[in-house]
Amino acid sequence: MALPVLDYEHENTQAFIHEVMSRSEQNITACYQCRRCAAGCPVGEETGYVTPDRLIRMILLGDREQALSNKLVWKCVSCYTCGTRCPNEIQTAKIIETLKHMSKEEHLDPLLPKVAAFHKSFCTAANHLGRLNEIEFMGLYEIKNAFHDLIHFKFREIFKETMLQAKLGLRMTKKKRMHFGIQKVKHLSDLKRLLKKAKKRAADGV
Amino acid sequence: MEIAYYPGCTLHASSQIYDIQTKLVLGEMGINLNELEDWNCCGATSASKTDDFLSVAMPARNLGIADNSGLSELVIPCSACYSRMLVAQHRLASNHRLKDEINAELTKKVKGNIRIMSILEVLVPKAESGELAEKTTKQLKGLEPACYYGCLQTRFPYDVPVPDDVENPQGMEIVLKALGANPIDWSYKTDCCGASATVNDIDTALLLMSKIFKDAVARGANCFVTTCPMCQLNLDAYQEQMKQKYDIDQDMPVYFITELIGVAMDKSPEELQIDRHFVDTIGLLKELNLI
Ligand code: SF4
Ligand code: SF4
Repeated sequence: MALPVLDYEHENTQAFIHEVMSRSEQNITACYQCRRCAAGCPVGEETGYVTPDRLIRMILLGDREQALSNKLVWKCVSCYTCGTRCPNEIQTAKIIETLKHMSKEEHLDPLLPKVAAFHKSFCTAANHLGRLNEIEFMGLYEIKNAFHDLIHFKFREIFKETMLQAKLGLRMTKKKRMHFGIQKVKHLSDLKRLLKKAKKRAADGV
Repeated sequence: MEIAYYPGCTLHASSQIYDIQTKLVLGEMGINLNELEDWNCCGATSASKTDDFLSVAMPARNLGIADNSGLSELVIPCSACYSRMLVAQHRLASNHRLKDEINAELTKKVKGNIRIMSILEVLVPKAESGELAEKTTKQLKGLEPACYYGCLQTRFPYDVPVPDDVENPQGMEIVLKALGANPIDWSYKTDCCGASATVNDIDTALLLMSKIFKDAVARGANCFVTTCPMCQLNLDAYQEQMKQKYDIDQDMPVYFITELIGVAMDKSPEELQIDRHFVDTIGLLKELNLI
């Protein structure tokens, strides 16, 4: 695969590296490209040429566009193998989390919209009543998915996804693994305040 | 002996059997579990992918409750909850500004004095001292489990103390050997099952699970044992789909470690609710005359 030649811009690159390093708390300039991380990454077969070491290289070379939107950022399963084995203690999974946040802030379309919808729905559902209710969470997730598919005219996808999750739900019900009651926290005030603080911090860019 | 207990959302929903079994088995060993009052969701992996502050703040409320419970130890059987709470405790201890900012909103403040333990940290010393074997009446002869730890039991995004070998943990093996089982040696014990990818990126998850499964089968395991409800549900509920896609024909029951201890203690399958699995878990135990 031929890759486009990258124009290196010193100032933008420095700013980008600095932002990723401070937000992820990872010292990526320590990376000496030994590729131990790549050797252990379980999703390597699925991410094309982007491996953790190459992701770091992209950032160091200032290729912001590629770094914010590539398969590894969306396929990473947060297994922490890369960081556990890195001789320089670089946790690429944390860099990936940072890149996800940055791509969201720049309103880039997630490469795997379902992954983004999943985590967002989880947090919304968990913070609604303080505990996660799987039915509420999956409901929110499916609505987000369906909405995304709808605006992209993917009607067949909506049908496929709904059938798939409905089937799983049925099987879980059969095995008495589905929980129909609602679980919740009695005193929600602490959580509501923390949630408000989180929103304020995000808005202030802390 | 009294220990604080954080079940987490999953143990009160799809993996309720793990909650039931944990209470039963630890109770039998004289450990009284004191559930944290009014605990909340730990945020799991999703919070850290959505909002870094929340990924510490959500567990922090639970830590505050635990720190003020008057107990000194907290057991968390779910690997994801265990990992998140441990990481949050570590981050709060090393970042006073963050701690003050979060404590300002908490009714019960984080002090940082509770000792967080996985279920293995409770079980392993009991197995090593012989106490566990004393409480059991049956030897799990013929059981050759692949002990599956997944990601969250030994790998953390921060430098927290890990109580077992990171790449080749032995906790589950120690417990199961004490019960007379013969856990196999294998290479995929800490590999990732795909976690939430079974819901949002199924092909990746099936690929990862197929590798784990193939290695366990090739090494002669007759079942999986795990401590993580996410790993348990994935390997169990998606096993059929994975086997079809990758042309595998052996079935493998996926047990929680607590149900095997329960069997060794001669608890009935009804009491342990062993039948609430997708892949049949009863057949193998009957075949081996364990129930
Ligand atoms: S293991 Fe660490 S030092 Fe080696 S290439 Fe990966 S990130 Fe760089
Ligand atoms: S944490 Fe992500 S990038 Fe690192 S090894 Fe695991 S899947 Fe690969």
